[in-house]
Amino acid sequence: MVGIARAAEVAPVTRYTLDQAKSALEFQFVQAGAQNKGKISRLAVTLDFSADNPAASKLDVVVETGSLDTGDKERDDTLKGADLLSVAKFPQAHFTSTQITKTANGYDAVGKLTLRGVTRDIHVPFSFRTADEQGKPAGYLLGKTTIKRLDFGVSQGDWKSTEWVGNDVSVSYSLRLVPAAGH
Amino acid sequence: MTFRNTPARWAHVAQFLHWLIVVLVITQVILANIAEDLPLGMKKLAMFARHKSVGITILGLAVIRLLWRWANPTPALPSTLKPYERVLAGVTHFGLYLLLFAMPLTGWMMTSARGFPASWFGFFQLPDFVPKNDTLYKAMKQTHDTLALALYAIVFLHVAGALKHHFMLKDDVLRRMLPFTKKP
Repeated sequence: MVGIARAAEVAPVTRYTLDQAKSALEFQFVQAGAQNKGKISRLAVTLDFSADNPAASKLDVVVETGSLDTGDKERDDTLKGADLLSVAKFPQAHFTSTQITKTANGYDAVGKLTLRGVTRDIHVPFSFRTADEQGKPAGYLLGKTTIKRLDFGVSQGDWKSTEWVGNDVSVSYSLRLVPAAGH
Repeated sequence: MTFRNTPARWAHVAQFLHWLIVVLVITQVILANIAEDLPLGMKKLAMFARHKSVGITILGLAVIRLLWRWANPTPALPSTLKPYERVLAGVTHFGLYLLLFAMPLTGWMMTSARGFPASWFGFFQLPDFVPKNDTLYKAMKQTHDTLALALYAIVFLHVAGALKHHFMLKDDVLRRMLPFTKKP
């Protein structure tokens, strides 16, 4: 048992960072009974990962909320406005994991999401696979989670009501990660 | 309660469809005007969501109405009408039917081209009629707005015609579309 524990401690942890060009972070919400979609184009991801030792792994994501794009300027400006994401005051959303555990389908990162100045615990389930691409290693992190906008105060004024814009915002991620230089 | 038109009178079903669509079209004009004046925000979004749902309802009713018209005899116009009056009645009615389809369809194209998917009162999401395209959106908005003006003009002719039949020609053209009048 001691030997196994020691093996786990020394399992190599690889640090990955984001290949932004080949990654997608998308969100979806229900507006008046219809799905509205958008994407985030600027984010930073740091993943310290060991498949055999999820406890030593860590996920850190910083999202520039002002880089959201739903394909319509009026809708984007409304989302970025003071009553919703309040991008001018809170330009970044930050997730940092406190614990990563192995699950039946992959991994679950539990951690703190700070959005619009409010910090709450959320789950970020993901699958992770590595690939050898012409001699260069890469990692693919895929998954989907749901956050409740009212938990973070993305709901000022009229928007507190969920009658026309739902509380649930689903966030899906398909990230290509590459080992960080020097690791 | 009558289910089939006769050569002299519209059935209650046809009358119900006519007046229900009248109420819904008036609702559409009110919702559109309220929405246009609101600042960007949830109230505006809610008004347009209702406008889209009612529009789709009108489109469905227009289909039913047209099928109904094909499956039933159309009450004849009075034989005393002058040829130009017959033509005017025909053109007006054709225009009204056309707009009952064209208004919802251009509205649906507008919302799809804008990238705002619509639903029917939140019960189900409508498929996107056209892909997102800003040029198409602007063209469809222009068309929708222009057709609305055409609708006002044709409705004016329609109402004026009905009132002329009732008060000047003193025939039963208006009465036969009214549900609460006695059969002649």
